[in-house]
Amino acid sequence: MWWKILIFILMCWVIVMAFLTPAPQQMIGEASRIFYFHVPQAWVSVVAFLWSMIFSIKYLRRNELADDDAALAAAQLGLVFCFLATVTGSLFAKVTWQSFWNWDPRETSIFILLLIYGAYFALRSAIEDPERKAKLAAVYSIFAFITVPFLIFVVPRVMPSLHPSDSIVDKSGKIAMSGDTMMVFFPSLIAFTMLFFWMFTVARRVLGKERRYLEES
Amino acid sequence: MASNYIVMAVTLIIWIALFVYLMMLDTKTKKLEDK
Repeated sequence: MWWKILIFILMCWVIVMAFLTPAPQQMIGEASRIFYFHVPQAWVSVVAFLWSMIFSIKYLRRNELADDDAALAAAQLGLVFCFLATVTGSLFAKVTWQSFWNWDPRETSIFILLLIYGAYFALRSAIEDPERKAKLAAVYSIFAFITVPFLIFVVPRVMPSLHPSDSIVDKSGKIAMSGDTMMVFFPSLIAFTMLFFWMFTVARRVLGKERRYLEES
Repeated sequence: MASNYIVMAVTLIIWIALFVYLMMLDTKTKKLEDK
């Protein structure tokens, strides 16, 4: 219970301080406050897709449908957080680049990622047999995750992009944030990560219950 | 600055609503699991 209260307090702190402290990028202004939500959302989507892959490997090794439920729950949440990161990024793009969507390498790579995980759900819905569905989805999830570091971390850095690349760590590897910014950013990262694990636990329980109900009926 | 307070209040309301919903869902699914 204590950690749920901690999530609540941390998130309240982040929301209040994100709007009361000076904007993290003075050059960009008020819109840069979205950084406190956009980056943790993108981070959580990577964690969620990694979690989905881990449980997919577990399923292939142990052949227990509970692991497939966990992989599915993580992928669902990963897609939700990835979508939120895309929306917040798009709002930021409107303010700084005057357009919601520019097909910038960062935008294109996140769009491809959304398509890849969208196909994961299309694959699941196309197969009736639960065992076969779980096996194919597990294999797909493993291959899908291989693209994640490439699409999130490599492509936007290799190709010329308008997306800010040194707002967390600068080119010399040092943290490029002021004390005020760190006081909000790191609690936000922790709060969003903890929130994901809580949501994951609940979603996993719901999917397990749903599966058992369908097995019984 | 006033618009910052409005956005902050709206975000806080959304967060509190999500938290309460998650707490309810958590309790309900735990009960179902224990059955």
